[in-house]
Amino acid sequence: MERRDTVQLGTQCRRLLRIARLPFSIVLVLPAQLITLLVVVVPTIIVVWLSLTDWQPTDNIPWFKAEFSWFWNFYDLLSDERFVGAVLRTLFVVTLCVSTELVLAVALALLFLDEWPWRKVAVSVIILPMMVVPVDAANAFFMLFNDHGPINQLLSLVLDRPVEYAWLADPHWALLPIIFAEVWQWTPLMFLLVLTAFLNVPRNQWRAALGLGATPAQAFFRVVLPLSLPVMLVAVLIRAIETFKIFDVIYILTRGGPGATTESISMYMYNGAFVYFRMGYVAAAALLVLFVVVSVCLALFKPLQKHYE
Amino acid sequence: MSDRNSARAPRLPKVLHRVAVVAAMVIAFFPVFWLLSTSFKPYEEWASSPPHWLPKKPTLQNYRIVFAPEAARRFAATQAGSLDYKVSGSAWAAFGTSAVVATAATLLSVVAGTLAAYSISRFRIGGDSFAFQFLSVRMFPPIAVVVPMVVLFSMLRLTDTHLGLILAYTAFTLPFSIWMIRSFIEEIPVDLEGVAQVHGMSQAEAFLKVTLPLIRGGVLATALFVFILNWSEFLFALTLTSGHVVTVTLQVANYVSASSGKLYGVQAAMGTISTIPVIVFGFLIQSHLVRGLTFGAVKE
Repeated sequence: MERRDTVQLGTQCRRLLRIARLPFSIVLVLPAQLITLLVVVVPTIIVVWLSLTDWQPTDNIPWFKAEFSWFWNFYDLLSDERFVGAVLRTLFVVTLCVSTELVLAVALALLFLDEWPWRKVAVSVIILPMMVVPVDAANAFFMLFNDHGPINQLLSLVLDRPVEYAWLADPHWALLPIIFAEVWQWTPLMFLLVLTAFLNVPRNQWRAALGLGATPAQAFFRVVLPLSLPVMLVAVLIRAIETFKIFDVIYILTRGGPGATTESISMYMYNGAFVYFRMGYVAAAALLVLFVVVSVCLALFKPLQKHYE
Repeated sequence: MSDRNSARAPRLPKVLHRVAVVAAMVIAFFPVFWLLSTSFKPYEEWASSPPHWLPKKPTLQNYRIVFAPEAARRFAATQAGSLDYKVSGSAWAAFGTSAVVATAATLLSVVAGTLAAYSISRFRIGGDSFAFQFLSVRMFPPIAVVVPMVVLFSMLRLTDTHLGLILAYTAFTLPFSIWMIRSFIEEIPVDLEGVAQVHGMSQAEAFLKVTLPLIRGGVLATALFVFILNWSEFLFALTLTSGHVVTVTLQVANYVSASSGKLYGVQAAMGTISTIPVIVFGFLIQSHLVRGLTFGAVKE
């Protein structure tokens, strides 16, 4: 019975397709395109509408009946210190995290160029962090930076006086555990990419450099590093994009607090939409962010494309 | 690999080199160790001062709380104040939900992704910007799409359903599927399919019977990779559900009690168990991780 249904469904589908005269190439991309349309494109249209209203779910009217407030949301956003703060903070975190990750990754990769016993095991241990579920990693860092946690314990040993510092409750330092967690989790990815890049540099290239009288350091900085640059660029881009979206770690560690001192763009929008229920306002923020992201994407489009070809 | 790379870079003395490597390993492993160690600590040791690096009285209590509602209830009554039963009932339900949602979304994403990748790489459909359209999905902060998605999903009655999460996960992992599988397909010469077609196969048959078997390993690696992403996802699970559908990441985040704050030990136990499948799969596809995380741009 079921089987006949499926067969029938199959024939019907084929008949439909024949009527629509869709070429094979288009049929193949339809499922992917439809899902993307439903989950990404339609919501983007809704976000444009919402951004022009002041709709809140607590108003008890459906969103499409909400009154337009036109561009006031955008006007308010640009003078909203909390929003501007979140944007600047996110850019700061991205810059700091990605550059730290890159430096650490290059340093680590240099340790792994030669073959030595247990090298594979060491690589496996070092890339372990990137496989941990981010929420669990965040919880681990919550415990590490607890006022009775091991970080404070180690600090007391080093400073030789009791340290019971509440890192996550300090407006000036609460961002630090977040950055530590992020760098801890994602340096391994950068390390893998940089290592791959280094190992892919043809051996005769640096041999030639050494043969021409370069010191190993010169050969590394003048030959290996430039040749690895494209891959490192891709690594930095990907990490920058991912860090820009930072949410899980902050949600678990501080939820943007104390006050709004650790709020990233994502955290700001989450709080706005799901704590203060200002959907229209957050939609406007989302639209602004999308606009920036899309312009950056378009700017990156050409150089990236060249690399993927 | 050994000979190829020896003496390429400025070298440290052997002792220093070993010390640096061990230090890196310790730092990489320490938070995981802490999670593991805390998961075996009894309530009194969760936040003891000074902290115990290893549990003084190791116990399975935390794991019992995670899996047996009875133990959770007893624990709540005696020690933790107001532990929320709705979320801490049992982790089995969360594991079931995550398994169903992550698997279904992975299948959808990989099947749709394979088809699209094939079309993109063999028919060059839509030029290059077509593939980039999917990539740009990955660049959007998901929260920017979440707000309208919540609105759309409540209209379609998809809020707090498995299907809703599956759709969201599928759309947001499609870029990985398409780009990763595309890079595998492009390693297979087109001529192979040409030969098959000369022998009377249709293009669809040539794809199914010639190319697909050759990239089987790559598709499997992609599937595991996408599964890891789905299993670890938190933001959509948090915003598109409201208590009925609880994934493992939600379950971990919800072990909070009003009176005693975070339930470290229980969170650690749940975290340990929920991370294990990810680590296993991660090491299974270790050689493909680089390719996956760079959308096929960098190959090992």
